[in-house]
Amino acid sequence: MSSETDTGRGIGGRVSGAAGRVGGAAVDGLSTVTEPVDRALRPIATVYNRTLGGYFGEMNGLQFVLLVGAFLGLVTIPFWGNYTLVQATWLACIWGIFAMSWDIQSGYTGYISFGHSVLSGGAAYTTAMLLNNVNAELPMRITIPISVLIALIIGLAIALPSLRLSGPYFSLITFVAVLIFYRLIRPLSEYTGGETGLGGIETVYSTDPVMRTYAFMIPMLLIAAALLIVARSNIGLILVAIRENESAVEAAGINATKFKIWSFVLSSIPMGIGGVLLAHRFGTVTPGAFVVVDNSIEMIAMAVVGGMGSILGPLGGAFLVIMLEDVVLSGFESEIKWSILWLIVLLILVFARDGLFRKLWHGLDRLGGDRR
Amino acid sequence: MVNEDNDTIDSGEIGNGSVGRRTFLGAAGAGAVTTALAGCLGGVDSGGGDDGTLTIGHLAPTGMAMGVGSERSAKIAVNELKEGEGILDQEIDLITENTELSTSTTTPIVEEMINRDNVDLIVGTFNSEITQGIMDTVAESDVPFIITGSADVNTITDYHGEDYEKYKNIFRTGPINSHYQAEAMAGYAEHLSDRHGWTDFALLPEEAAWTTIFRDRLPGLLEDRGLNVVYDEVPSVQTSNFTPFLDDIESEGADAVIRFFAAGGRGQLLGDWAGEYPFAVEGVHVASMSPEFWDQSEGGCVFETTSQSGGGGVTELTGNTMDFVEMYEAEFTGGGQEPPSKPMYMGFNTYDAIHFYAKAAEEAGTVDYAEDLDDIVDAMLSIEHNGAAANISLAGEDADYPNDVETTETESGEVNYPMTQWQPTDDGGKQEVVYPVQDRSAKHMKPSWMS
Amino acid sequence: MLESILSVLILGAMMSAIYALVAIGFTMIFGVGGVLNLAHGGLIMIGAYAFLVSTSSSVVGSIAVPTLLGLVIATLVTAVASYVLYGGLVRYIEDNVVITFLSTVMVALLLTELIHYEFGSSPRTLLPIADGTLHLQGVGTRINYMYILGFVVSWIAIGLLWYYVSRTDEGRSILAVSMSERGAQLTGVDLESVKSRTWLIAGALAGLAGVFLGTLQTTSPEMWLNPLAIAFIIVVIGGIGSIKGSVVAAYLIGYLEQFTLEFLGTGYQGIFSLVVLVAVLLLKPEGLFGREFAHE
Repeated sequence: MSSETDTGRGIGGRVSGAAGRVGGAAVDGLSTVTEPVDRALRPIATVYNRTLGGYFGEMNGLQFVLLVGAFLGLVTIPFWGNYTLVQATWLACIWGIFAMSWDIQSGYTGYISFGHSVLSGGAAYTTAMLLNNVNAELPMRITIPISVLIALIIGLAIALPSLRLSGPYFSLITFVAVLIFYRLIRPLSEYTGGETGLGGIETVYSTDPVMRTYAFMIPMLLIAAALLIVARSNIGLILVAIRENESAVEAAGINATKFKIWSFVLSSIPMGIGGVLLAHRFGTVTPGAFVVVDNSIEMIAMAVVGGMGSILGPLGGAFLVIMLEDVVLSGFESEIKWSILWLIVLLILVFARDGLFRKLWHGLDRLGGDRR
Repeated sequence: MVNEDNDTIDSGEIGNGSVGRRTFLGAAGAGAVTTALAGCLGGVDSGGGDDGTLTIGHLAPTGMAMGVGSERSAKIAVNELKEGEGILDQEIDLITENTELSTSTTTPIVEEMINRDNVDLIVGTFNSEITQGIMDTVAESDVPFIITGSADVNTITDYHGEDYEKYKNIFRTGPINSHYQAEAMAGYAEHLSDRHGWTDFALLPEEAAWTTIFRDRLPGLLEDRGLNVVYDEVPSVQTSNFTPFLDDIESEGADAVIRFFAAGGRGQLLGDWAGEYPFAVEGVHVASMSPEFWDQSEGGCVFETTSQSGGGGVTELTGNTMDFVEMYEAEFTGGGQEPPSKPMYMGFNTYDAIHFYAKAAEEAGTVDYAEDLDDIVDAMLSIEHNGAAANISLAGEDADYPNDVETTETESGEVNYPMTQWQPTDDGGKQEVVYPVQDRSAKHMKPSWMS
Repeated sequence: MLESILSVLILGAMMSAIYALVAIGFTMIFGVGGVLNLAHGGLIMIGAYAFLVSTSSSVVGSIAVPTLLGLVIATLVTAVASYVLYGGLVRYIEDNVVITFLSTVMVALLLTELIHYEFGSSPRTLLPIADGTLHLQGVGTRINYMYILGFVVSWIAIGLLWYYVSRTDEGRSILAVSMSERGAQLTGVDLESVKSRTWLIAGALAGLAGVFLGTLQTTSPEMWLNPLAIAFIIVVIGGIGSIKGSVVAAYLIGYLEQFTLEFLGTGYQGIFSLVVLVAVLLLKPEGLFGREFAHE
């Protein structure tokens, strides 16, 4: 995990700082109990740290158990979860891909994009338009690569001009990209199906929930692994450095623009994959479900809840938000449900701006006592 | 009466009752005590079959008045069946869900209904995109699905027309599809011409999929009847300022504008038009169907008309209309209850759809769609049902619009497609049915400021 | 043709005046704190609904005040809401630009859901303060009196604001902070109070805009997004933080929209202003009257 970003100067920062200190004291107290536990677990973690740690980062025994436990719980979900939970998992896997992809670009470089739904929407629309306007019989092995390629092209088309801008200006222009894409769908309704969208996309394993789960989960896990490796490599370091101090990066003789464009490439490809998966999950592509700016905001919310700039944080955030949305809060009226959800995100933004999962991770780090 | 049984129903599977169950599942899902429920999975094939309970799934945007009206109407229909003869001695359950207005919300709901709740019948869906978004999922499951909200003709032509065998479990008992609506609208224009001597019409369909057929057909249909189309523009749904349109319509000398608006916020056209522009506003306006629209528009809708199945529930259409409306009002109107105070058009259609299916099930002698779908389809296509909104029968496999509701005509040859108008009263305004002539509760009024 | 041009000239001026009301508050808040307040559309919505609640007898039982009083109430309520938004939330997080604009998005979304829950999703109609329209025979158009009133109110508000920020000490301190926060602090300006005043003023302007937009366009839970997009576009074109720039850009966009509407049809109405926006962002990112974005 990357280092915590500076805690804010304002009261939010002070409050969370104070809470952190109190919590920290409690945690330190607890660690007398948990340290032995950690010590017992450490041998396994050590094996991992020696073999794979170099790629994914080292961790202590508790962290290792958390991660492996979450992983095992996830891959076995079709065997212990009920229908609602499994169904939510499909969506959570896809949104997890979106949140991680957003993170490698926006979370790492600090160039906050409001336009990522254009990338996933572009890929989904490519699949749908190929099937509806070219040939309904096109196999997935043709539609998927083309769709992902289009997502990449759109990503570069947004990145090349807009990366000259920084801060809010960059966010604005990506936001505008969504508006332009959205507003073009109706005038071009002959090809895009207008607001009713396009159907006729094969839904993968629509009668086999178990296989379907893996159809969405395996790409998600592969993308997570790939992005983690990238994020922990030198590329990831440079992206973070751009966020922290871009002029210093330039001063060090590194072409920051080149790396920002790389971050868009790294982001666009998995966004495209996720968009295609989403199209195959619903079988129809509509502007409301695939393009509108709410989608981009939701991705951002997930990443923020989990912890921007950590890949796994946004993934966890995606699962948390989707599970809240579709499982835990699904009994409430929709307005109440969304109000609660946005309120939670707002509270996390104010009081835990580094994200819940990053807090959890560092908490475990302390609980485990000294690593060496 | 319906009221007496209300409590037991509400505490059961219906409406708010289902909230408790889903919350429990949610909590259970989030916790770890889910093993007991794991049997639900793999239960994909256990849908269908005759388990002694007929579970009806209702889909509507219940955040909107239209959806609330439909949900309440479904409850009334289920209550009636329970208290009456029922359907083949089956227990009857109603599950109702909020589709909101998005396909991404609706698809999971439908999957749950089919795979987890084992519904035996689905009714509802309001927007065309939502209906079409779930067509494939529903078709694969074979669960009978009766559309009661969206009128888009493509929902039949692009699906049943392409592969009848696949989509044969999907029906529509109302509203009449947009192809017929276009014809009915032309007939209505002719009526206006007879009544007021209007000859020049302007067309103003919003830029949306559902208006395509009106855009394509209506000009020709009007000209066939000797009427002139003097203006034809398609405003985008984002249009907020209609002054340029109204100005042009006025300068073309139109007697009336026929507009087709479903997207929100079109009250604005009325605000500029009322009391000012010398032409009438006719056509379809979804917001204006609400019985509360007079208040919502602060009376700005005066003299405006819209079409709607059930005619707003203000007058007798079939012999069953007002009975149903009175049941609805007895249970859901007044006493601080949320709007709508009338079932609205989707309510009529949902109410009729459930009774229609009950009749078809009796005819087929089965509700086991997994085994006997063909019998059910045959029965659906053979019966006739005098509902609250219309006398309903469905077109056969070889018709232009298979499984779709057929139009009925009055004695004078007018399509049964009620138009309502907001007319002024002493202390406000009320909706009146002004067409077809046979059913009307009041004569169509020309806006008072037209010379 | 002449008629069309005249009609564009007149209607464009009316629309632009209201756009100016929408954008000025947004740009002021950005100017003094570097805060991108994405809840600005939400404030506009609060104005419209406050007006609805206070003037319409169909919402809250018997409460129905005269519309002019309703306008005042809506303005005050929105100003207070804006102040509360600053004092209760933004003040604590404004050090971080990203967190701030994400938080204000959440506030806007939260408002949407609450209004949706309370008032339903169907659009409401606001009672016009001035009923009826002015029929311009020669031009072949009618102008809603609300547009004329909006035009007048907009220019009065702009005039007062101009007087305030250029002729009074309190106002000058706002201008000073927007030019250089550090410089202003060095000359003894109380930053907190300047910001609070800015948010109050921005809120009041948003409330006014809300009443006019709500009457002339729609009052619905989704009404915040379009004004926000308009405010964005205008502020970027005019230069972030510049009041003069916002007024000029508001007229640019207002006329552009009216022109596309009259001569190209409504399909392209939204797209043209976006294209202009992209062009300005890429060619002159500081806007027509703005400075480079150089906060620290």
